[in-house]
Amino acid sequence: MIHGHFIRREIARSSKQAILFCLCVALSLTSLTVFSGFSESVSQTLLTDAKKLHAADIIVHSHDKLSDELDSAISDHIRQGKIDRSRYWEFYSMVRTADDQASVLSLLKVVEKGYPFYGEIVLKSGRPFHDVLTPGQTVVEQSLLDRLGAGIGDSLQVGYTTLIIRDVVVSEPDRPVNVFSFGPRVFVSSKDLDALSLIRTGSRITYVSLLKVADDRQIEAIAGRLKQFASPDRERVDTYRTARTRVKRFLDNFIFFLKLVGIFILIIAGMGIQNTLTAFFNEKQRTIAIMKTIGATHRQIIRYFMPVVVLPALLGTVLGISAGIILQQGLARLLSVFFPPDMPFAVAWIGIFESMALGIAVVALFTFLPLLRLKEVRPVVIFRKEKAVPHKHWPVFVSAIGFVLFFFGLVFRHMQDLRFGFYFVASLSALILVTSIFTRLLLWILKRLRIRRMVVRQAIKGLFRQGNATRSVIVTLTASLSVIFSIYLLEQNLDTTYVKSYPADAPNLFVIDIQPTQQEAFSNFIEQPLIFYPIVRARVTAINDKTIDRRAERAKRRDNLGRTFNLTYRHSLLADEKIIKGSQLFRDDWTDPQVSVLDTVVDMHKMDIGDTIRFNIQGVPLKARISSIRTRTTDTFGPYFYFVFEKKTLKLAPQTIFTALRVEKHRVGLLQGRIVKMFPNVSVIDLSATIQVFARMMKQLSTIIKGFCILSMAAGILILISGVFATRAERITESVYYKILGAGKTFVRKVFSLEIFIVGLLSGILALVMSQTGVFLICRFFLDIAYHPFLLSCGFIVGATLLLIIGVGMVSTISILEKKPVIYLREQPDE
Amino acid sequence: MAILEAKALNKTYTVDHQDIMVLNDISLTVEPGEFVVITGSSGSGKTTLLTLLSGLDKPTSGRVFIDQQDITGASEDDLAPLRNRMIGFVFQSFHLIPSMSAMENIMFPAELQGLSNAEKKARQLLERVGLADRADNLPSQLSGGEKQRVSLCRAMINDPKLLFADEPTGNLDSKNGRIVFEQLVEMKNEQGATLILVTHNPEIATAADRVLTLRDGRLTHKIQGLG
Repeated sequence: MIHGHFIRREIARSSKQAILFCLCVALSLTSLTVFSGFSESVSQTLLTDAKKLHAADIIVHSHDKLSDELDSAISDHIRQGKIDRSRYWEFYSMVRTADDQASVLSLLKVVEKGYPFYGEIVLKSGRPFHDVLTPGQTVVEQSLLDRLGAGIGDSLQVGYTTLIIRDVVVSEPDRPVNVFSFGPRVFVSSKDLDALSLIRTGSRITYVSLLKVADDRQIEAIAGRLKQFASPDRERVDTYRTARTRVKRFLDNFIFFLKLVGIFILIIAGMGIQNTLTAFFNEKQRTIAIMKTIGATHRQIIRYFMPVVVLPALLGTVLGISAGIILQQGLARLLSVFFPPDMPFAVAWIGIFESMALGIAVVALFTFLPLLRLKEVRPVVIFRKEKAVPHKHWPVFVSAIGFVLFFFGLVFRHMQDLRFGFYFVASLSALILVTSIFTRLLLWILKRLRIRRMVVRQAIKGLFRQGNATRSVIVTLTASLSVIFSIYLLEQNLDTTYVKSYPADAPNLFVIDIQPTQQEAFSNFIEQPLIFYPIVRARVTAINDKTIDRRAERAKRRDNLGRTFNLTYRHSLLADEKIIKGSQLFRDDWTDPQVSVLDTVVDMHKMDIGDTIRFNIQGVPLKARISSIRTRTTDTFGPYFYFVFEKKTLKLAPQTIFTALRVEKHRVGLLQGRIVKMFPNVSVIDLSATIQVFARMMKQLSTIIKGFCILSMAAGILILISGVFATRAERITESVYYKILGAGKTFVRKVFSLEIFIVGLLSGILALVMSQTGVFLICRFFLDIAYHPFLLSCGFIVGATLLLIIGVGMVSTISILEKKPVIYLREQPDE
Repeated sequence: MAILEAKALNKTYTVDHQDIMVLNDISLTVEPGEFVVITGSSGSGKTTLLTLLSGLDKPTSGRVFIDQQDITGASEDDLAPLRNRMIGFVFQSFHLIPSMSAMENIMFPAELQGLSNAEKKARQLLERVGLADRADNLPSQLSGGEKQRVSLCRAMINDPKLLFADEPTGNLDSKNGRIVFEQLVEMKNEQGATLILVTHNPEIATAADRVLTLRDGRLTHKIQGLG
């Protein structure tokens, strides 16, 4: 029989520890609900309005003109009245004002009547889109007007024609306005497509056919039939359910990082659960010992204490999920600019239930050890204070294996990448292990220091108070701070290398889509030595005759073989290249086609010298043998190519020319305008400006991620407070004895604050050393960029963290400091 | 046949890598219904001996038998039913469960055993010690004497054969001490239980059947009591 009174009173007697335990459970549930649940919510939200998001039922996507087979299959279905079709062509091109004074790289969308089948394009004037977008007219994004200094009614030169700006696009269903792109949107009617004269051989154009199916039930069947006619290497047929839009890809990637942070917080919060529960049970040790003295078995004790644990855990679950839902809404609001318009974010309950199930698993996992440790409480502790010495080590091993398996499973489920999951779990384990070892070492040294100053001596002694959980606090705080510092340092180093100090000798203008016939004229026009790189767009279809599964490749987080590559041909290495396998770029003794690959490709798929790669070059197959493997000696902004061929192999392939040049910043705009005027089909990308836009966006996103990382610090702070409460009796005794012996309140305050300061300082220094080392290694050996330690900023963050920790620690000791000696002596417990 | 037997008990604690011998070669036998007092100066090992005899702690060497059963190597869970059904404890510091009322504290051992009349028995015991009106009070709301009487009721609820009392009057004034001691002996006699009591109090020792004196961890005197 379990008494409700007993449960209530036991919780009330250790209410502070119960609250902290409850908060740690809440923290882990919040993290799960936000990071795992948010992903589900986004998927559900996007799926609910997926037709609108894709503007069609079936989407046919290609980087070349559709194959005749697929095109005629679509036409057949149209003739049978089963589908409607609306096509669009999307590509980058320079647009310029009528007076050629200003130009800007823009993302053109040339659309047929009927686009979009679902959702609508909202114009600033409120007029219907197709009423405005008639031949000879254009609709543009506001930022284009701002950048060109143009207005409604002005003329705009696009390609080889001139269009009149008629309206401003506010939103389009299948692309959020603020998703990162190289340039603002420009809508053009398909009737003007020929007049633009921009669709030329080798140009990077996305051909999309949107299909609306008359009978909804036929969507999958028709898509299935069309897939049979599609060339798997070039064309993609998706339904609105399976297609991955840019929005989805962007959110997927962002959520991926959020999930990593979420799992990290979950681990730290789990450590918090374990620590606060252990502190909670330490307060129950006497009660448990008495129960055992009276004859209670371990099982009976568990039965009595289980509800005492379950109730705060349940409360924590409810709190955590509620906070998670609120944070999901907040996160959705922060990211609203990236969502398609008119798509209200809704919390997915399936995600909430999944979080709840995972939360229960996490709580069970982290409460297992403290509950099992109750077995080690011996009845004799009612006579003397003694530390329960674990006589069996298997529970620790079992729970350690349980943690690793659970988290690996969780990581793998969310990352869908065994290798990445392994690296992530291994890195986190290494972080926690290394932190634990260093913490042990530092505390060992501190314990052995001979210090003369009494305040310092007493503060250090305080670190080793039983129940203080000093080691756990330092480990959790260090782990959290290390991650925050690392993100900060990495971001700062990338910013310094690529944004703030853009290399003086690096090219800042990339010129793409030059036609081979324009090369000479372009060279003469620029009047400076240029290197021209022929570009042939192709896909990799097989390696050693084993077909590449494009869908599986594209699902990978890292760069993969599923995308379209830019091939080139030349007979020499670039200045920043060297051969790491093979004797020379191409073998003299091979007569069949040869290809030299960059080591990055070898990272994507195992391959070696002599292996064969099959390409699909805009419909034409090409099989080549790997003659050498190259690497880059620096990560500069110069052009580089994954696949390099001999000239004889690719010279007849459809191609464009690419070149990069360095131009003084003040001349960029003028030169851009002149190039576009002379060569309307050529696009010029201002790299430094683009990088700055990209960096600004990345900074916004990394701020969100860092913000969430701070949640992991909360677990460390909760353990710190729990430690202070767990040692409350000892602290009061010390404080009272100090006072009885003549010490003032200031002395006691100094001892306690110094103790907390040492904990914060050790955590800060350890985190700083570990993150500096980690980021140094990443910068030097992974990114190949110069490393800057940013000591001043880091010192500032450590200082702020110290202030926070001391503040929290001192607030939790206020009641101890206020305790009057006489009251304490009167209150000495005798039961 | 002895209800309690100890053979060559030794107990050593290790403090800062230094072994401290608390009990040295203690052997004794207690017959059913006997009242044995263990006395000795502070630090002589009285309470440690009591914890070993009652199975609350394990000796470094030697063996303990309760009702012919060797409890020396028994696990905590094996000892639990023995403690619950056969043994009752009364401590100097009462050791009542602070989150349970007087009534709940007394009922607790009976409930562990699954007795259906736990509440009735507990109420009878409370009435017997004159605390019927304090049944719902928490230990913190009781005086020292009242706490010890509740503790006595808790020790007796399962009709134990063996009672261990560690300085049961040590924290009480003389009047309350006398009341508690009288009630303890009265209940022991009614039950026909064996009582092993640790005390400093020479007055209590005179009531015992036998007095064992400990000095520096060794039994030095075995005096036949007057009781």
